[in-house]
Amino acid sequence: MIELNTVRRAMFEAMKKAATILPPDIEKRLHEAYEEETNPLAKQHLHISFENARLAGEGKGLVCGDTGFPLFFIKAGRHSEVQGGYSQLWKAAEDATAQCTEEAFLRPTMVNPLTRANPGDNVGQGMPKVELSFDDSIEGLEIIAAPKGGGSEIFGTFYRMLFPSDGQAGIKKFVIECIKDACYAGKICPPAIVGIGIGGTADLCMKLAKEAALLRKVGEPSPDPEIAKLEQELLAASRELGIGPMGSQGINCVMGLHIETALTHTAALPVAVNAQCLVGRRWKASIDENNNYELSGEI
Amino acid sequence: MNTIKHLQLPLSEAEARSLKMGEMVTVSGKVFTGRSRFHIRAIEDDILPPIDFSKINTFFHVGPVMRKVDDGWELVSIEPTSSIRFERYGADVVRKLKLRVLIGKTTMGPATTEALREVGGVYLTKIGICGNQLGEQVKNIETVYFLDELGKTEATWVFEVEKLGPFFVGIDSHGNNYFEGLSQDVEGNMPKINAELGVPEDYDYTDVNSSVGK
Repeated sequence: MIELNTVRRAMFEAMKKAATILPPDIEKRLHEAYEEETNPLAKQHLHISFENARLAGEGKGLVCGDTGFPLFFIKAGRHSEVQGGYSQLWKAAEDATAQCTEEAFLRPTMVNPLTRANPGDNVGQGMPKVELSFDDSIEGLEIIAAPKGGGSEIFGTFYRMLFPSDGQAGIKKFVIECIKDACYAGKICPPAIVGIGIGGTADLCMKLAKEAALLRKVGEPSPDPEIAKLEQELLAASRELGIGPMGSQGINCVMGLHIETALTHTAALPVAVNAQCLVGRRWKASIDENNNYELSGEI
Repeated sequence: MNTIKHLQLPLSEAEARSLKMGEMVTVSGKVFTGRSRFHIRAIEDDILPPIDFSKINTFFHVGPVMRKVDDGWELVSIEPTSSIRFERYGADVVRKLKLRVLIGKTTMGPATTEALREVGGVYLTKIGICGNQLGEQVKNIETVYFLDELGKTEATWVFEVEKLGPFFVGIDSHGNNYFEGLSQDVEGNMPKINAELGVPEDYDYTDVNSSVGK
């Protein structure tokens, strides 16, 4: 049995790590982008970001001061029984989020959408957001904490119901225009990870896009060769826009482009785009049935 | 990299007008912060903090991360926020407060660019993710307004800063916007990109007679 205290502590530590340490795959990819850029402003955007991340890693601040939406993606595997039942995961996420906010690893950013009232601890209706799924191929609980910045979520989210007659041309046109729009003036803080969902219902389509942006190792191709080819083609197209880091003149407005698909209605071709910003914050906690847990920036 | 101009606040009109798009700068002196709520309240409700805007005329678009400590506040990180979303009120706020300097992420639109041209002000764009370095350049937390009503993030903080930056002049006081110029270059690249992707020049999405969002 996994104790609630363990879950709470693992969630807090994963969120704190996510807020203060740049994930290793992201850092590596950003350094490659730095080497490739030639425009001095494009390089400086990255250089300063590296310095910012270094300070955060030393306990002098945060990977980014907009700690955004507090998200938890949880996979329950075999032997993952939780004290009090799985519904307690939501309570643990609330406690971990409130503690992270209290200790200023998260900024109090979540507000009521209409009254704009701020509870002060990022906890309330629907937040933190917990996404629970079940996976028999793993042992215990796997929790990914992802503070998702406003820039990428607010300016980098698009959905369009295309139709079968719109074809692949429609998908490509939509995606490249989304990237162009979202990267203008650095709105989504490029180099971004662009997650794309194709198929499903509207909500599933967007969920696929979000998970493609947040939960895949940056640049890892889809296991489906046809999808991987489409990823490659769209990534190559993004590099010809002439937009670089933070929307400056350059090459790397996108550092990774990931597509996930689902079956859809024979009449429909839904496409969703959800971006993740250059700091790509997320950290994983893996908890076993004996209440041991490990934290990792690898995904 | 370009040399960096170190500016002392409050900036005079002549100093602001001498700045050119693309120049790298830092600012030293006093700045105040605000975000959406500041803009909406300033214009819709005429609610302003009791600041002498002739002396503190640098508006930093940001919601700092603040930690409560025994004798007051400690600044954790201060990442500029996306200014473009204030465009509905940006020009009115610039004119009303006669702002000389805006600091933020992204840019502003044509109306605010025009207001800056009239007033003699500039918009400074942040470079990279820089909130921890900027935090170190905040030398004193002078005061805070609207904390109870708006919370730490949307409150108006007044900071004394030293060589805050670097930033680049994204919009100068002569109507030039770095990103508008770049956008034209990007549009120029689109025909080739579409051709490579196999998107015909006259491509239209299937029209199902939807009127939403048009």
